Amino acid sequence: MRVSMSFQWNEGISIACKHTKWFWVSLLAIYPFAPTWANDSMLDTLQVHGFLSQALVITDDNNFFGNSSKNAGSLEYTELGLNASIRPHSNLLVAAQVLSRRAGGETSDAIPTLDYGVVDYQMVSNQQRTIGLQLGRFKNPFGLYNQTRDVAFTRPSILLPQSIYFDRTRSLGMAGDGASLYHEERTQAGVFRFQAGVGKARIEDDVDLALGLDRFPGTLQAGSSAIGQVRFEDNSGRFLMAVSTASANANYQGSQPPLDNGSFQFLPWVFSLQYNHELWSLTSEYALRTIELDGFNPGIDQKKTGESWYVQYTRRVASDWQWLVRFDRLINDRNDRSGSAYEQSGLGPAHSQFADDITVGVQWMPRPNIMLAGEYHHVDGTGWLPLNTDASASETSRHWNMLLFQLSLRF
Amino acid sequence: MAHKPAIQQASVKIRTMPLFCLIPSAIRTVVLAALMLALMAGPANAQSPEQHAAIRLVAHPTVATSWLNRDTTRAIFAMRQRTWPDGEAVQVFVLPNRDPVHARFAKEQLAVYPHQLQLAWDRMVFSGMGQAPNRVSNQLEMREKVANTPGALGYLEREYIDESVHVISME
Repeated sequence: MRVSMSFQWNEGISIACKHTKWFWVSLLAIYPFAPTWANDSMLDTLQVHGFLSQALVITDDNNFFGNSSKNAGSLEYTELGLNASIRPHSNLLVAAQVLSRRAGGETSDAIPTLDYGVVDYQMVSNQQRTIGLQLGRFKNPFGLYNQTRDVAFTRPSILLPQSIYFDRTRSLGMAGDGASLYHEERTQAGVFRFQAGVGKARIEDDVDLALGLDRFPGTLQAGSSAIGQVRFEDNSGRFLMAVSTASANANYQGSQPPLDNGSFQFLPWVFSLQYNHELWSLTSEYALRTIELDGFNPGIDQKKTGESWYVQYTRRVASDWQWLVRFDRLINDRNDRSGSAYEQSGLGPAHSQFADDITVGVQWMPRPNIMLAGEYHHVDGTGWLPLNTDASASETSRHWNMLLFQLSLRF
Repeated sequence: MAHKPAIQQASVKIRTMPLFCLIPSAIRTVVLAALMLALMAGPANAQSPEQHAAIRLVAHPTVATSWLNRDTTRAIFAMRQRTWPDGEAVQVFVLPNRDPVHARFAKEQLAVYPHQLQLAWDRMVFSGMGQAPNRVSNQLEMREKVANTPGALGYLEREYIDESVHVISME
C-alpha cells in the first residue's frame, strides 16, 4: 500500500507538471524583478504550509466516499495539500499548492494535481483601497467556502453543505486558468471586496459522469469560464454579505449518433449571509444553478435550474471546542421539486432529484495544528450522493444516515 | 408529518446496525456536554477593557508611515494588504491566538475576533491569496523582532514600548 502510494506521488508530479503551463507563463511575467531575487530579505519571505485530513465515513444505506455502508465504514476520504509562497518584490506574491484528494472513486484520484499556481501583483495598495491581479491558476471565489473547500481547518464541519459544495461537478467550480482581478474598497459603511476572473474552466471526468455523457465515446472540452464575487463586511466586522456568480462552458465533441457536437453551460448564482458574534455564527447561503445542454439533439438538449440553500448555526464553547447544527436542502430541478416527473419519464428514482440533510457536528482543537471532528447526517434523498459507476441510482435508498469522524493536521 | 415515516424507517435501519446505534448517542452526549459548557463559559468571557494597559501599534523605526486607519490596519493584519501605504513591504508580527493581549488587540483595535483572524489567515494561505503572519511567543520577542525587521508591524502594551520601536497611531 505504501509502495503504491509513493509511486502515485512520483507519477503525480509529472502529471501535475503538465497542468502548470499557465503558472510558468505567469512566472515569466515577473522576470523584470529578477535582480532583486538575490536579496536575503526575499528568501526570508518564503513560507511552506501543508495540511492532511483523514476521515472515517459510516453509512447505514448508500455509499458516500467509498464502501461506507459495508463493515466498519470507508477510509477513502483523504485530503493532503502542500504549498509554498514567496514575495520576490514588495507588491508581488508567487504561490502554488499541490493537492492530493481521494473521495471514494479510484485510487488514482489521489494523484497530486496543481490546485493553484499564481503570480499576484498588488498594483494599488493604500489606506483607501487595495487592487491586485492574479495570473495563473487561481481559486474561484464562489460562496463563502469554495476557495479553501479542501482544507478541513477552514470548514465548519467535515462536509461542507453538500447542496452547494457537492462533489459531482467540483472540477468546474474549483479554479480557472487565466487572470483574476481583485479590489478592496474601504468606505464609511464598511469594506467592499470585488473579484472577477476569466479563463479556461477545468473540466474533469466528474462532469462527464454528472451529465451522463460518460456512456458515449465523445469528450467534453473545457471552454471559457468567468467568475465574479462582491463581498461586503460592515464596520463592526459582524455582518458579511456576498453575491457570487460564474459561467463555465464546455464543448462536446461526439463521434457518433445519438450525440453530435453540442455545448454545455453551467451558470450558478450564490447569495451568502453571515453574522458573527464572539461565541456564535449564523450562516446561510442560497444558490440557483442553471445547467444548459444545447445543440445535441432534441432528446438530450435541456435547460434546468436547481436550487440549494442551508442555514447553519455554529457555537464556540471554549477556544478549542465548537459545535454546529445545520439544515441543508438541494433540489435538482425547480420545475420538478419532488422528482416525480423525472421518475415518470423513466430516468431514475424521484429521490435522486432532491436531498434534505440535517447535520449536527463537533470540532475539537487540542492544539492549534490538530483538529478532531465528528458529525452525524440524517438525509432524505440522494440528490448530492456522488455518482458511482458500479451502483445505479435505482439501487439507492431514499432515507439514510451518515456518521463521520476526521483527524486533521496542518503546519 | 411527511417526515414521520421517514424517521421511523431510518430508525428501523439503525437498529439493524449495532455500531451505528452506539455512536450517534455518544455524539448526542458530546453535543449536550458542549451545550452545558457553553452556558457555563458564557459570562466568564466578559472582561472590562479598562483594567488593562492600552495596546498600541508599533513598527520598525525606519517605517515612514505615522498613522493608519482601522480598515487598512485590519486588511494588513488579515494579510490582504502586503505593503505600507508608501509601498514598502509589511512584515506582520502577531502573538499566539490564545494570548490575552492578542485577543484584546483583535477585538478592541481591529474589531474582529481572534478566531475570525485565524480563519482569514488559513483562507489566504491555502487559496494562494496571501501569506501567514510571523508568530512571536511574547511581547519581549515582539519588541525585539519589530525593532530589527525592516517594514515590521506589530502591537505592544504601553509598558513594553520603548525607543527601539516606532509607535503608529490609529484613526
